[in-house]
Amino acid sequence: MLTLRKAGDRGHTDLGWLNSYHTFSFGGYHDPKHMGFRALRVLNDDRVAAGKGFGAHGHRDMEILSYVLDGGLAHKDSMGEQHVLGPNEVQAMSAGSGVIHSEFNASSTSATHFLQIWIVPAIEDLKPSYQQFGYPSSEKRGALRLIAGPDKSSHPPAAFINQDARMYAAVLGAGDSVDYTIRPGRYAWVQVATGAFDVNGVALKEGDGLAVSDETALRLRGANGEESELLLFDLA
Amino acid sequence: MSDINVLVVFYSRYGNAERIALAAGVGAIQARANIRLRRVADHADAKTIDATPAWRQNLDRMNRDYVAPRPADPQWADVVVLATPPESCAEIESYCVLLPSIGSMRGKIAAPLAARDEESVLKPIYASAACAGMIVIPAKLESGDPITGAREYGQRITEIARSLKKLSQV
Repeated sequence: MLTLRKAGDRGHTDLGWLNSYHTFSFGGYHDPKHMGFRALRVLNDDRVAAGKGFGAHGHRDMEILSYVLDGGLAHKDSMGEQHVLGPNEVQAMSAGSGVIHSEFNASSTSATHFLQIWIVPAIEDLKPSYQQFGYPSSEKRGALRLIAGPDKSSHPPAAFINQDARMYAAVLGAGDSVDYTIRPGRYAWVQVATGAFDVNGVALKEGDGLAVSDETALRLRGANGEESELLLFDLA
Repeated sequence: MSDINVLVVFYSRYGNAERIALAAGVGAIQARANIRLRRVADHADAKTIDATPAWRQNLDRMNRDYVAPRPADPQWADVVVLATPPESCAEIESYCVLLPSIGSMRGKIAAPLAARDEESVLKPIYASAACAGMIVIPAKLESGDPITGAREYGQRITEIARSLKKLSQV
């Protein structure tokens, strides 16, 4: 079963410095019908104005992934981590027993566009941790590149998360396609980051999401004149 | 959502009070509280601040990371952490004096905390918080490391607030 979550139906927050679309309930947007999908709890599509950002605030018991599409994100946290994250990098913060962090647009002149993803961990009260690594953009062109998953030593490297969930990224040109096998009992979520796709015959445009249940395979096909980018979540 | 709200208000020039405030905040999160972090503004004027580059540099950074306390914050809170550097408690004391004019603080917990655990610095804050009808819980940092001590204090005051809330509901 494929269930489309249209971009235009998402929750929306516009604070001037932040323009955010919420696939699932978040902050002031609450819709009991959209509280997440399996362990995927938050999927925000954020545009942060130059020099602005999220001030210091706290979290616990959440796997928080940031995926930058354009610009840079300056991260600082109570573990002493201080980094700048850009495209073709992934940031994975395990809030565990508690962490305070801030995320700001690293640029004082241009906006940053990123996806903020929260995955509910399988275990509570873990020691907080932070990971960040980069990968060549070629690894996600025409292929699904594993970005985060539950394996501590995956090849090529991916961020470790405390949940039986995997996040892949792919960039496809018009007409290019990749196939993904869904193991029995598994679910998937497809999120279009940029451009447009056809997924098992369902047309998706930027910001659209697709909940996948009781399917055995996905054919992801680029449907935009230029390159399109998506995230695929494989979920228990 | 947690049942306990902890407002962490601090004043810091060079980052020491900020660090213990953050540690207390992390402790509160560890004890499953919701937290808000706020920095009170300097009493000093811009010229005075500019004369000390480290102060100016930290202030610019902190002004980005934190907003000043808003009137709704103490009303939201069950616990107000009041973190101050040892060299000046005036900013936090002023905030504390202001609290009753925002709304009733009766029965809320005040948790004063100094960057070097100096009780003499905290006494004016104790007095102002008590005058506002708050329950003052002195820090008495038990750990040698101030950051660890502040974190443990954040946990402890959250647990005390939770116990008091349960008692009030009996």
